[in-house]
Amino acid sequence: MLRFTVSKVLNGAKNGPKTLTVLTRWQSDQAKKPEKIEVFIDDKSVMVEPGTTVLQAAALVGVEIPRFCYHERLAVAGNCRMCLVEVEKSPKPVAACAMPVMKGWRVKTDSEMTRKAREGVMEFLLVNHPLDCPICDQGGECDLQDQSMAFGSDRSRFVDNDFSGKRAVEDKDIGPLIKTTMTRCIHCTRCIRFASEVAGVDDLGTTGRGSDMQVGTYIEKLFLSELSGNIIDLCPVGALTSKPYSFTARPWEIRKVDSIDVLDAVGSNIVVSTRTGEVLRIMPRINEEINEEWLSDKSRFAYDGLKRQRLVTPMLRDSSGELKPVDWEAALLTVGKQIKNAGDKIGAVAGGFADAELLISVKDLLNRLGSENLCTEHVFPMDGSGTDLRSSYLLNNKIAGAEEADLVLLVGTNPRLEAPLLNSRLRKAYIHKELEVAMIGPEVDLRYEYEHLGADPNVLKNIASGSHAFAKKLKSAKRPLIIVGSDTLERPDGAAILASVQALASSASPQEKSWKVLNVLHKVASQVAALDIGYTPGVEKIRNGNLKVVFLLGADEGAITKEDLPKDCFVIYQGHHGDRGALLADAVLPGAAYTEKQATYVNTEGRAQQTLVAVTPPGRAREDWKIVRALSEVVGEKLPYDNLDEIRDRLEQVAPHLTRYGRAENANYFKQAAALAKSANLDSTPLDVKIKELKDFYMTDSISRASPTMAKCVQAALKQKEAKC
Amino acid sequence: MSQAAKTAARQVKPILSLNKEEARKRVLNLYKAWHRQLPYIVKQYDIPKNIPQCREKLREEFTKYNNIQDVRVVDMLIIKGQMELKEVVEVWKQKGHIMTYFKESQEPKPKDFISKFLAGVN
Repeated sequence: MLRFTVSKVLNGAKNGPKTLTVLTRWQSDQAKKPEKIEVFIDDKSVMVEPGTTVLQAAALVGVEIPRFCYHERLAVAGNCRMCLVEVEKSPKPVAACAMPVMKGWRVKTDSEMTRKAREGVMEFLLVNHPLDCPICDQGGECDLQDQSMAFGSDRSRFVDNDFSGKRAVEDKDIGPLIKTTMTRCIHCTRCIRFASEVAGVDDLGTTGRGSDMQVGTYIEKLFLSELSGNIIDLCPVGALTSKPYSFTARPWEIRKVDSIDVLDAVGSNIVVSTRTGEVLRIMPRINEEINEEWLSDKSRFAYDGLKRQRLVTPMLRDSSGELKPVDWEAALLTVGKQIKNAGDKIGAVAGGFADAELLISVKDLLNRLGSENLCTEHVFPMDGSGTDLRSSYLLNNKIAGAEEADLVLLVGTNPRLEAPLLNSRLRKAYIHKELEVAMIGPEVDLRYEYEHLGADPNVLKNIASGSHAFAKKLKSAKRPLIIVGSDTLERPDGAAILASVQALASSASPQEKSWKVLNVLHKVASQVAALDIGYTPGVEKIRNGNLKVVFLLGADEGAITKEDLPKDCFVIYQGHHGDRGALLADAVLPGAAYTEKQATYVNTEGRAQQTLVAVTPPGRAREDWKIVRALSEVVGEKLPYDNLDEIRDRLEQVAPHLTRYGRAENANYFKQAAALAKSANLDSTPLDVKIKELKDFYMTDSISRASPTMAKCVQAALKQKEAKC
Repeated sequence: MSQAAKTAARQVKPILSLNKEEARKRVLNLYKAWHRQLPYIVKQYDIPKNIPQCREKLREEFTKYNNIQDVRVVDMLIIKGQMELKEVVEVWKQKGHIMTYFKESQEPKPKDFISKFLAGVN
């Protein structure tokens, strides 16, 4: 399908052949800035760039033209005809979404002709749309419903009910996440465009013409993508709805709470919908700097894991070796006694869901007891400047900045599954801006083409020394990015890899001074905050410390096992899911999950954001930092904060950026970090990533492992893979 | 007179007392009336309290409002106190109603962090 506007064709001639085949609205930015032209929307004058569509010009003066197929983040299709408006001296109404404005045009968005055109379009759409709003999940948030009320006719001319009936289309099975009712489809093709442009999975398309037209996967196939859930939000009608959410609630019954996602390190902004103390669904919230308006499937659908496998009461291991529920008083006294006896022989391991408040309170408590054994579960090299300089562990150029790059070198990372929304930015730049991507690491499917430089880490050295062909490209790139995956840095030679990447980054010569070449992509939400607060990455200290008490803060990835600890070591697990960590524990303290507390998380670009309370913690679970605060009183080392404001003041004392919500503080001292880094020898074992395929993506942490929906997704991914073989 | 001063000196309709002195007299009268009634309350209602305990409670109930300056509010409380007294004298109340003054079955709300934590309130 050829979809672009006149101006884009005109500008397109200057660009390479790749951009010509795919249309873009970004191209107009690249062309020289021509003079603005004046148009009139409902007699209001507005100055716009040439090439602006009528619909965009109308939006500038605050007039919203109704639309179904047009979506500002997708290519223009112009097939629903809902945006027809009258232009003075034009004999026919024009489609506002696709028509660029001409000088002096007078557009009438509420004239007789416009209204008649809209009414006609609505009537045609409704002829083939079932009247099943009462049993449709989209009811109450349906564009078709709303617009038929606003612009449709008040009576129907459809009298054929008893004769041949309305158009009916067979439903498709496109996976465990998306429910299809294709009879409701109005062929806006938003889902098709999303799949091919943003997700990069060209599985959806249309077959047939006229009233036989159908949207679907041509052969029977599942629509599996890490971003597939977004087509539910895009669908203006109830053709594509959420399978786990089906028939559970109406939009007017639910309470919506703004929050932050913690299932990856991107920190996507979300809206949590709740009713009767239950999380019913999670939807994305627009944040142009992070997730635009998309959300990855794990973040969107893993919420049912929040209801299963939960720790709801404190537990202590009795003499027979079983965990028995006890009340808080008994738990705190027992744990407190153990901590008192341990003295400074105590350590803590922070897992992937630990929030900044918890991290700071545990650090304060352990420091008061004379211990510095504060570790994170995920390893980061500590040689050279280690984590002293923030720039060595952040995604310095920011997520939105990835769009501007012209050359990206991925080192041992699979951004598609580790940070799907970063990958969608890279893909956007690849498609619309001629980004070149190269990869050192396993050959994974990123849904765009890249140059594979092999998996040997010594390629890094070769590039740095200039003997590799890629070195020249890196030197000449105007806005190069190097993205290092956290998996790679967990290797024994992680420090050497970081050192050579730092050297490589400082050898690149970006055009702008503020452009940051070095970027580290983390996989868990807690890591950056933990490093900011001063935790030591890796659990070496715990293994070698001969400790009497170990405090696991939601550490479920198995970095510490029973064998690593002395026999008489008392293990305390504080967290929200009964997963691997709780199995080790002698005492379990139930904490709150991210939907149940107001807590600070810092994403991989160093942006502090806070979650808000959507539901209360189940059973006797408590907010995490409060447990530590109560424990400190029992131990006799009372921490000096009683409420959220006070602990946030403490956070601010330690690191002021942790309470500047929504802002990403820039990090610096790249040169110094590179100078301090010691160049060690690289292993020749090939670089690898843990999450290679879609089936590995869905279950990566204690929440998603407890989620039945995610389990179904893994099944579906395996089935799809088998079918292909 | 300026607008602000006008509102400050606004004349309001008195409920019972015209000034503080008068209100004070009424309070003392009510207090005395209750005080005289106490022995009969202990006897009639058969409560597990003696007269000195009741006097202490009576004093507590009155001193609870010792910060109130507005004459009209004082008057209102006097009226309520009289109504209470009447209910007691006429035995419209029962034993339980008298005992609620002592709040023996009410648990104090947790105040410090650790008791709030154990009770599960924020």
